[in-house]
Amino acid sequence: MSTEKNSAVKTLVDLPKNVVRSVFRNPLPSSDRGRAATSFTNFFLHIQPVRVSKQALKPSYTMGLGLISLFLFVILTVTGVLLMFYYVPSTTQAYDRMLDLRSSVAFGVILRNMHRWAAHGMVALVFLHMCRVFLTGAYKTPREFNWLIGVALFLLTLFASFTGYLLPWDQLAFWAITVGTSIAGYAPLIGKSLRFLLLGDSTVGQEALLRFYVLHVVVIPMMIALFVAVHFWRIRKDGGLAKPEQEKGTAAPAAAAGAIAASSPVPVTTVVTATAPARRFTIQGLVRGPFVKVGKLEEDTVFSWPNLLIAELFVLLLTIAGVMAVSLLFNAPLEQPVNVMHPPNPAKAPWYFLGLQEQVSYSAFWGGIGVPGIELLLLVLLPYIDRGRKGIGRWFARERLLANSIFLTFVVVNVYLIVIGTFFRGANWQFVSPF
Amino acid sequence: MEAATKTVESGAKEMRRRDFLAWLSGIGVAGSALAGVFSTFFFMKPRVTFGQPNRFLIGRPEDYPSGARVAIDAKRVCIVRDGNRVAAISTTCTHLGCIVAPSATGFQCPCHGSQFDVDGNVTGGPAPKPLAWYGVSLTPSGELEVDKDNEIDTGNYLNV
Repeated sequence: MSTEKNSAVKTLVDLPKNVVRSVFRNPLPSSDRGRAATSFTNFFLHIQPVRVSKQALKPSYTMGLGLISLFLFVILTVTGVLLMFYYVPSTTQAYDRMLDLRSSVAFGVILRNMHRWAAHGMVALVFLHMCRVFLTGAYKTPREFNWLIGVALFLLTLFASFTGYLLPWDQLAFWAITVGTSIAGYAPLIGKSLRFLLLGDSTVGQEALLRFYVLHVVVIPMMIALFVAVHFWRIRKDGGLAKPEQEKGTAAPAAAAGAIAASSPVPVTTVVTATAPARRFTIQGLVRGPFVKVGKLEEDTVFSWPNLLIAELFVLLLTIAGVMAVSLLFNAPLEQPVNVMHPPNPAKAPWYFLGLQEQVSYSAFWGGIGVPGIELLLLVLLPYIDRGRKGIGRWFARERLLANSIFLTFVVVNVYLIVIGTFFRGANWQFVSPF
Repeated sequence: MEAATKTVESGAKEMRRRDFLAWLSGIGVAGSALAGVFSTFFFMKPRVTFGQPNRFLIGRPEDYPSGARVAIDAKRVCIVRDGNRVAAISTTCTHLGCIVAPSATGFQCPCHGSQFDVDGNVTGGPAPKPLAWYGVSLTPSGELEVDKDNEIDTGNYLNV
């Protein structure tokens, strides 16, 4: 009787603890074993490796650019879903809904500002992340395909931003999309039909607004989420972030395996996996035979819990603070409602396409399709053209002087064109001084 | 010896049937994927559009005195009258789709500075093609009708 009572009390007393223990399988870790278990028993943490190289944690190496891009995507998803509750993709209602966000929706202005500035930020950050990966030579074997996925993500980001640009249905939106889709119309053979398919009509109108809306809120975000998942998966399968070759020591496990085979009295087959050359923590390779080869922990790695987690949370905080600060200081632009008869002078595409538009003002085909097409092709083929093994995992490696110079030339020219198109082009696309 | 040959033969036959089925399934999967892509393409391509009609009336010839160049921005055409001749020139810039405005020397695009002469031929800027001319006809009621689906040669006027 008394034992039953005791157990009932005990159950009640232990209830909170038991609930917590059922959710979190490990207590806060105090040992290395606990730190490892915390990483791989938690759904959200097991995406990351148990140990991570010190170089990957160095802010000066990655600058957190890829991570900031991801967090901006998360901010965009959250604010975007909230904005969807008040938005109607109709030419007669969309603009009024924009005004409603200002006048009659709690936090409507700040939500729209955050969505707008995070979108611009994501375009810029994804591009900067690509620059980082290039300048540190991080696209080389075995990371070629992940570079391709990155290029796809860059294009998807541009397309997501571009489709969102039309939704406010103001003058800025309408004419930017008119100009932007006309550039697409210059593609040889398929250009005209591609434009018609995208707009659902011969001009920008209700059909285009609906199509852009569906692409913007469903199709592109789902594609981005899928590609991001593959992108992250491959980072781990390719052995974490790129590191300098000598520290990886790819020859070591193979040599060790060879030594085993040589010293063994019976012939043993040794198979050394080459899939994850940069990551070998305890088992250095798969060795078929009567041996289990156990090595030492690499000295240049630390536990993800809490080192990586703290770094990531810090970047998250910084990203949210940055977006919030900009959104409190600057309002997202909203111009006059669409007037299809009066193009603003000059009519400009979104800023990230102004380099294109500047090129298009010299030659329609070469500026709009030819040159960007060649640039894109070079980006895609890059890891298959540049097969050198030198200078991986270091900024501005001297061995990569030529590659880096060519890349930076492209970057500088494109940034220059965007600056000219944004600030130095006035009425009739004449050269004007912004000062 | 004979038996062995037979076994090999039957084994080869067995494999061939399996290969055939695998091949057939492959065709089925690839065919379904291809059919899916094509049907999605045809689904996305609208059969009917709900924008403005491409044939419309623009009034009687008398509404346009000789020498008049009247731009109708809503329809994106400019009606030109020269003596007894009438023509409809597109005001959609062939460069990036902005609306060109009639100027003293012809047409001027506000977006990227393309210039055209009075007949719509390119005289400056990035426009790759001259402005389109549309067919104009006189309806039985005596009104002028423009058909934007009917692009005609530059300088092809309608006598009224």
